[in-house]
Amino acid sequence: MALSNRERRRLSLGIQAGIFVAAAAVLVLLIDWAALRQSFLNIEPVLPMFPGIITTGLVNTLQYTAVGFIFGLLGGTLLALMRLSSFPVYRWIATAYIELFRGIPAILVFLALGFGVSLAFGWNLSTLQVAGSALAIVGSAYIAETLRAGLQAVPKGQVEAARALGMPAWRAMVSIQIPQAFRIVLPPLTNEAILLTKDSSLIFVVGMAGSAAELTKMGRDGINMYQAGLTPLVIAGFCYLLITIPLSLLARRMEGRVGSRASRKKAKKGSTSSPVTGGVA
Amino acid sequence: MSTEQPSEGQPGVAGVIIEGLYKSFGDNEVLKGIDITVNPGEVVCLIGASGSGKSTLLRCVNRLEDPNAGRIVVGDFEATDPDVNLDAMRRQIGMVFQQFNLFPHLSALENCTITPRRVLKRSREEAEAEALHQLELVGLKHLAERRSAQLSGGQQQRVAIARALTMKPKLMLFDEPTSALDPETVGDVLAIMRDLAQAGMTMIVVTHEMGFAREVADRVVFMDQGVVVEEGAAEQVIGAPSQPRTQDFLRRVLNPLGE
Repeated sequence: MALSNRERRRLSLGIQAGIFVAAAAVLVLLIDWAALRQSFLNIEPVLPMFPGIITTGLVNTLQYTAVGFIFGLLGGTLLALMRLSSFPVYRWIATAYIELFRGIPAILVFLALGFGVSLAFGWNLSTLQVAGSALAIVGSAYIAETLRAGLQAVPKGQVEAARALGMPAWRAMVSIQIPQAFRIVLPPLTNEAILLTKDSSLIFVVGMAGSAAELTKMGRDGINMYQAGLTPLVIAGFCYLLITIPLSLLARRMEGRVGSRASRKKAKKGSTSSPVTGGVA
Repeated sequence: MSTEQPSEGQPGVAGVIIEGLYKSFGDNEVLKGIDITVNPGEVVCLIGASGSGKSTLLRCVNRLEDPNAGRIVVGDFEATDPDVNLDAMRRQIGMVFQQFNLFPHLSALENCTITPRRVLKRSREEAEAEALHQLELVGLKHLAERRSAQLSGGQQQRVAIARALTMKPKLMLFDEPTSALDPETVGDVLAIMRDLAQAGMTMIVVTHEMGFAREVADRVVFMDQGVVVEEGAAEQVIGAPSQPRTQDFLRRVLNPLGE
């Protein structure tokens, strides 16, 4: 009996799913669950980690990341504008900065700030200051390139229209070009925020007091403290997801709001609320 | 130099003087010595094949393009003076683009209020009242909250005209305002432009709409390869062109399939 295209496609998808399920089942049977649980999901001995891993670890990770991202965004915006400047010196400085801090491992920046600054200036930076500024320095280099691409993706006619209305160049940049660029680069910016969240763990190279410990530090300390294998690190890993998944959802909502789905809803509302006047005579 | 024609035009519209204008893009000389005078309140249509330099000429008037040589005067502004206050000059020159160029992150209303508020420092109430008035004149007050993505091409172009008019310009430049529109929406836009002309606005219009040029233009300028070939009353240039190049162009525009 001949199959229609549609039936053939369904059959093919069914076979693919079958192979996948079978492979997963084999894997599940092969795994030594007891041993695995012993080292990775041995929850009971690590229960004393709560609520500290949330109230201290999660809160500190959030703080370091937030400070780093906010200043990274400000610095990145400035660097992006410098890269697009007509003044060559600004372009060179921005390019050099971006290439340097995008190119070296972030861990070096943490070390430079954690040890170098106190050696050079005699300043004693707090853990928040070191982590926040290290993340801002690294983040701004990445964010600058993302934003530059976004600014260049705004159609030329937008700036022309703004200038033709009599807006000075800086006003056209602030009111027209930058807001549109941010909408374009929202997805890669979310990516950047998530990467920074995880990079905040690099503060371990500098060391910190218990009250300043972030998730990874607490997870590592937990390995020595409890007889539960790597379970404390697994717990810390789940805590990262508590930050990054809501972040993704938030970004998706913001995208939706500026995108077509929300606008169509709004349009419907607009047309039903006041069906008056209309075309020109 | 230009507001001395009280018989025509609303008070405070500007005239334009263009003298010996040259413009090149690299090796490509687009404008080769253009002289045109537009009196206050006058409507001048620029016609000609694409690549003839019409749009470039228009964009030189508000200095979106920098001419290589020549002089332009717009009302009280020496547009080609290196020290001219370009932003102040442009606030008196409204421009309407082929691709509308509405700001897509703002509603129709905000498109019309952002420059009065941010640049002229008008209060929100004042700017919105004026913007709603202008949107009403183009028949789109009821769509003031919509963004450009939710408007048709013709509606977008009408918002763009309202946006330009909220700045109370003394001169309006139209760069092929109906070329990107669906045929059935062209009429609405042309009607608004005709009303604006009848209200006495000085207008320079780059267009392929010969019917509009004939009905509304005080003068028609035919350009070809960067020079003015023929200019005069619409009836004369479109109805009875004297130059072979004008005749040839009009034959092709008015009868695209040939005989």
